[in-house]
Amino acid sequence: MQIRLENLKRDYGSLHAVDGVSLNIPSNTVYGIIGRSGAGKSTLVRLVSMLERPDEGEVWYGDKRVDNLSKKELIEERRKIGMIFQNFNLFSSRTAAENIAYPMEICRKPKDWIKTRTEELLALVGLEGRGNAAVSTLSGGQKQRIAIARALACEPSILFCDEATSALDPQTTRSILALIKEIQKKMNLTVVMITHQMEVVRDACDRVAVLENGKVVEEGLVSDIFASPKSAVTKDFLSNLTNVKDSIVKLSDKTGHYTLRFSSSTTSEPIISRVTKETGALFNIVAAGVQYIEDKKYGVMVLDIGPDGETEKKAVEMLKRSGVTVERTVLEEEA
Amino acid sequence: MNSMIFKLVAESTLQTIEMVFWSTVFSLIMGLPLGVLLHVTDKEDQGGIIPKPVLNEILSRIVNILRSFPFLILMIVLMPVARFILGTTIGTRASVVSLSIAAAPFVARVIETSLKEVDPGVIQAAKAMGSTNWQIIVKVMLPEALPSLVSGVTLTIINLIGYSAMAGTIGGGGLGDLAIRYGYQRFRSDVMLAAVIVIIVLVEVVQFVGNKLSSRLLAKR
Ligand SMILES: Nc1ncnc2c1ncn2[C@@H]1O[C@H](COP(=O)(O)OP(=O)(O)O)[C@@H](O)[C@H]1O
Ligand SMILES: [Mg+2]
Repeated sequence: MQIRLENLKRDYGSLHAVDGVSLNIPSNTVYGIIGRSGAGKSTLVRLVSMLERPDEGEVWYGDKRVDNLSKKELIEERRKIGMIFQNFNLFSSRTAAENIAYPMEICRKPKDWIKTRTEELLALVGLEGRGNAAVSTLSGGQKQRIAIARALACEPSILFCDEATSALDPQTTRSILALIKEIQKKMNLTVVMITHQMEVVRDACDRVAVLENGKVVEEGLVSDIFASPKSAVTKDFLSNLTNVKDSIVKLSDKTGHYTLRFSSSTTSEPIISRVTKETGALFNIVAAGVQYIEDKKYGVMVLDIGPDGETEKKAVEMLKRSGVTVERTVLEEEA
Repeated sequence: MNSMIFKLVAESTLQTIEMVFWSTVFSLIMGLPLGVLLHVTDKEDQGGIIPKPVLNEILSRIVNILRSFPFLILMIVLMPVARFILGTTIGTRASVVSLSIAAAPFVARVIETSLKEVDPGVIQAAKAMGSTNWQIIVKVMLPEALPSLVSGVTLTIINLIGYSAMAGTIGGGGLGDLAIRYGYQRFRSDVMLAAVIVIIVLVEVVQFVGNKLSSRLLAKR
């Protein structure tokens, strides 16, 4: 579902929380909205998700205007969207499965249908068999997975995420983002991703709008914005990104079979070239980057070694002798 | 203690339990909807989902006035109501009428306070999913507040035990009545003591059960 915002405005007293926002959010994408704390992101998402009415402007879902609906239509329309939050907002009075069942209950779906669908959704978010868990016994990542399952229960065409990963550690953030991306493709969703973290935009979004003082200061393809940021805010966000503790860039979707870690003592030597020369091994690099492990800096490569098992063995041995840490791994599909 | 006193105390205890039980039920029937109404019509930043400032102000004033009345006076003021409903102003049934009405505003505030503790984010999520106001109240607010509501009801019952003893002193039956008629008017301090001990035991038991129930509910979450 395509979303169109026309000159949206929302004041709180004399404060212009959202100050004339016009955006075109194409269907079937992950659309990021980034801004500092207080920029008006949550207010904007409340306007777009019909939780609050704008003082001025229009919100369109496809050909339907939704900012001026009657109470009854509003409830009807809200059942066609999904929303997840920073604090998960799960019902503590319900188990994981009962949380997922809630939106189906309020639409008066048949009981056995709800049961089947709940199992399906638990599997979709990778929590099969955890349906009976009390919410408080789940980790942050698991809570967000349950919240995602709950949001998707009635097969929405739009998913709003308000700082959905801000309460999670970097690794869990990545796995949740991977899940959202996977689901977006599977269900042809339009995902609106509100965040104050550029990593989230980098890892998950196709397009991004930068919000500052209730106004959109920059908008475009993520790759374009990263290549040539225009506004000061965007540049600031990007400059913080280079300090990210854990930045491995995945170059290919193929899984690598080895993770090599180069500590500072090994980085001064042309190890890879030497191994290639002496053993005839072929390296296919899948991912590379810098990783901080317990505050020590490592160069990291995830790669495949060929062309055959014999060479592979020799190469691994030689790498180890040169002081490189070699781990046989699969690069996680992060799901 | 001879068997006559034992019989008297046992009878009065049963009367008190009956009185407290029914007035708890009726004060909840009146106080619960009132408490919910007080909460949902409150301002949005107070967690109100259907803000109605004027109605909220009026209800709030009435509740405050009723609550600031000294209980004994309220009982006397409510006597005509008991007479209207039952045709009498004495006995346990008459006490139930005035006890229930007197406790209802208290219950309303207790319920309101419990509902105010519910995480607003959870209510927002329920709203975003397309819940009707009724569904938010019944399927989210009340269940989310349940452990706290149980504590509130416990407090109400304990208060009603105390109130019922006071009601007894104006002819309402039960342990208070016994203490006045025998302990005070006939100088039977042993009866007085027995009545007081039973009241203390009742309060302790209710408190214990209430705490257990509330923490059991919390542990399951
Ligand atoms: N309900 C409200 N009442 C008054 N002010 C609000 C309300 N909601 C948000 N604001 C104000 O609007 C501004 C934008 O808030 P918000 O949309 O939550 O920003 P963000 O999500 O980007 O951090 C802030 O200055 C905030 O204090
Ligand atoms: Mg926010």
